[in-house]
Amino acid sequence: MFDWYALLPLAIVLTSLIPGLLIFTLREDQHQLRTRLNLLGVTLKLALVGLMVIGVNRGQSFRFELPFLPDAPLVLHADALSLLFVGLSSLLWLATTIYAIGYLEGSPLRSRFFGYFSLCVSATVGVALAGNLVTFLLFYELLTLATFPLVVHRGTRESLRAGWIYLAYTISGGILVLMGVVVVHGLAGNPEFVPGGYLGPLVEDQAATLRLGFFLLVAGLGVKAALVPLHGWLPRAMVAPAPVSALLHAVAVVKAGAFGIVRIMYDVYGEHAVQELDLARPLLWLAAFTIIYGSLKALQQQGLKKRLAYSTVSQVSYITLGAALVGPLAMVGGLVHLVHQGLMKVTLFYCAGNFAETLGVHDVREMDGIGRRMPLTMAAFTIGALGMIGVPPTAGFISKWYLGIGALEVGADWVLLVLVISGLLNAAYFLPLIYRGWFGHPPARWPQEQHWRDANGRYERFETHWMLLFPTLLTALATLLVGVVAGGELSPLAWSRLIVSREFDL
Amino acid sequence: MIAALLSLAIPMLMGLLLLLHRPAAAPWLVVLGSLASLLAAIAAILSVTTEGAATMQLGGWETPLAIRFRLSPLSALLLVFTALIHFLVALYAARTRGRHPGMGDYWPLSCLLHASLAALWLSADLFNLYVTLELLGLVAVALVSLAGRKSWRPSLDYLLLSLAGSLLYLLGVALLYGRYGVLDVALLAEMTSDDRVTRLSIVSMTLGLMLKGALWPLHLWLPAAHASAPTPVSALLSGVVVKGPLFILWLLWVEVSSAEFHRGAGLGMALAGVLALLCGGWQSLRAPLLKVVVAYSTVAQLGYALLALGLLLLWDMPRLYMALWLFVLAHGLAKVSMFLAAGEMQETCGSRRVSAMKGATQTMPLAMFAFAVAGGSLIGLPPSGGFLAKWELLQPVVQQPDRWPWLVAILAGTLMSAAYVFRVVVVSFDRASPRHPEYRSDTWAQWLTLLPALLVWGMALISTPLILWLAEAAP
Repeated sequence: MFDWYALLPLAIVLTSLIPGLLIFTLREDQHQLRTRLNLLGVTLKLALVGLMVIGVNRGQSFRFELPFLPDAPLVLHADALSLLFVGLSSLLWLATTIYAIGYLEGSPLRSRFFGYFSLCVSATVGVALAGNLVTFLLFYELLTLATFPLVVHRGTRESLRAGWIYLAYTISGGILVLMGVVVVHGLAGNPEFVPGGYLGPLVEDQAATLRLGFFLLVAGLGVKAALVPLHGWLPRAMVAPAPVSALLHAVAVVKAGAFGIVRIMYDVYGEHAVQELDLARPLLWLAAFTIIYGSLKALQQQGLKKRLAYSTVSQVSYITLGAALVGPLAMVGGLVHLVHQGLMKVTLFYCAGNFAETLGVHDVREMDGIGRRMPLTMAAFTIGALGMIGVPPTAGFISKWYLGIGALEVGADWVLLVLVISGLLNAAYFLPLIYRGWFGHPPARWPQEQHWRDANGRYERFETHWMLLFPTLLTALATLLVGVVAGGELSPLAWSRLIVSREFDL
Repeated sequence: MIAALLSLAIPMLMGLLLLLHRPAAAPWLVVLGSLASLLAAIAAILSVTTEGAATMQLGGWETPLAIRFRLSPLSALLLVFTALIHFLVALYAARTRGRHPGMGDYWPLSCLLHASLAALWLSADLFNLYVTLELLGLVAVALVSLAGRKSWRPSLDYLLLSLAGSLLYLLGVALLYGRYGVLDVALLAEMTSDDRVTRLSIVSMTLGLMLKGALWPLHLWLPAAHASAPTPVSALLSGVVVKGPLFILWLLWVEVSSAEFHRGAGLGMALAGVLALLCGGWQSLRAPLLKVVVAYSTVAQLGYALLALGLLLLWDMPRLYMALWLFVLAHGLAKVSMFLAAGEMQETCGSRRVSAMKGATQTMPLAMFAFAVAGGSLIGLPPSGGFLAKWELLQPVVQQPDRWPWLVAILAGTLMSAAYVFRVVVVSFDRASPRHPEYRSDTWAQWLTLLPALLVWGMALISTPLILWLAEAAP
């Protein structure tokens, strides 16, 4: 019997790759066809991911293999960890596609934009499903290349500059990852990722080479995960259009880095080797420093998107922190934050995009009274910001709770202090925005107000274009929901516990 | 063997015929001829895989006197490579033939170039190699000078330096002949000892070959000559012609020179390779003209080949032979695509400057895409051919801690190539002031520039069999 399980991971990658390639060939004015292709791909992908989630929950395995290098085939393989990431990126792809269609309405070069956008998602899903290091490397580099045209999409001098910086960081990081992959390959060949890692037996003899490999890999991945001092590209890349920022910060790029670090630590080196070689401690310090540093920088920013960007630098490091604590509960906190941070940050970026597109508000100081003009967007913003601070029952609270008790469990009590300080700083840079938005006095005129009309010439019914508003509300709702029903069976929290129980042999 | 000879004879006869008589259909004849030669070369590679290497004595003389042709797996592969590149370039040249007057001589000359390269891959004695090398140089100079008055100066420099290289090479050949009385590579391999005359002759030949192959630091003629040549000629020169001297260099060091000489020479070559990567890359990054950027990138990329050859000798590691030839294949295809794309864009823009490429992703999306995709292979992004080569090169380097400094050198070289490729790519995304093309861009020609780049990424599809085949075919 033909084994359709084997083709499912490939199909998940192709559901965005093929529409993407087709979109490149479309003319600018074929926007209906383009929208249909996009939505068809998204729907198919979500359906396939749903199938896979059910399968993996039951313990089924999905594996696709293609020969590439003599001893390193390309392997796409779905396990619980990859599905966490695939699920997140597919869901947010849906929301962001709708958002981007609304955001870019009427602007030039949309075929190019959506083509690369789909390639980007394909690469992200490939990173998530990669079954060995060589496959991971391939999709990781592809992600860099596919994101670049989106960062420079506007083609202005400023965005080209940002594009240069983005490339300088990510290409260097990619080369470090390549070197790291070669080092590990030289030691142990190219087996597939396995819970508990496969480098454990080599710890005795090859300590120096293993350390070099770990350093190269984490330094390379740290670029995308925006670990200080490798984070410089992220705030610069803010000049890109809002859907691209959402993609960079929540769906694809920084997540690929953080996800890669988790993969390397737990499925390549393994908990045992990481402990023996004492690899996690420097990473833990770095992550803790990044959390505080990012928050402090965010506090100084007056541009809304800049502030959100530095907040990402800080928040993504929670994932690394959770991984570097090397304990089951902290790991749950890190993994669940992969999803939670995605939902919260994407909401905040949609809101920032809505403010900028509808009213021309780019600066924190222009937000006075914006809640009266755009109550729904401001409500979503409030939910996202409270989540970032970690107020129960939002998603952010769950992550911080697990990180905190995880730190206590492994005896790293000082991490708790880092979490508290970071929470206070988060409050310090988000609460004034919430206050201004709801209680500030609105200006007589907004900087650049825009009214949309539909095909019949009627004004938009909502506070902004519905395609901008609905994804925002959707992800804000999700932020609340994953916090409230965290105890449910298919919540991100439950799924993270499933992953951790497989990693740590509980 | 018959098939290999056919692959050599078809372009040779075609070239001679076109010299005498120039029908209007010459471009399409050349396209068909290179296709036929490609098919013959594929037949040769099949025969060499099933029956093993073959030799043939020309003129019926016995071994020490005769001129010997040898079909090894590597030479069969290079025959296919040469014919493929000639076919791809001929397609582009045929499509764009109407643009420049005076390109009529291109057709016979490119056939002769093809034939002399094929003869070079098949030759098995040092004098015969000299003859093919000389022929190759002369035809290449003639091709460069086709671009008109502006290219005469670079082609004269090329001619003089090429002749100097030939003389150095010939000096080495004469010394070896005086010492051993034979020139057949296989016979010499058994006889050579490590004395002064042998060392001197090998050094002299190496210098000559480095001069002809534009290997750093003897590359000075290359950027001007390759950048001023007509676009299809630039593609051929960078894609295959500089690989000819490299092949002889490899043969000379691996087969003829004695093992005691390898360590020092290997270190020198590897260091020269690293410097080529860095200096060539730097020059490429600073060059204001698009084709000069691509030409310096050839200087830099040849550094990888030199590095692989040097490390092969230094560590006595035959496995690196795969890295060397994978670099040659990947670079050839990628560089053809890059030169054709650069030429196509500069013709459409009406300017040779990099800064004129503003907005090229909008006005010439396919050609720009070809440039970027080919550049991806030069950088070594997976799964392109350039990645395969780099993967093979990196494997032995990471094995022992005392080799890790080379890792830094390769890292720096890769960064450099990323920098000069993306320098052009970033400009092309500039939407601020797109320069409008002076005439409609030719979509077909743009597709033809993209084709070799797609092939170099397509190497991923056959990578496992290719690498295993190369490993088996190692001398």
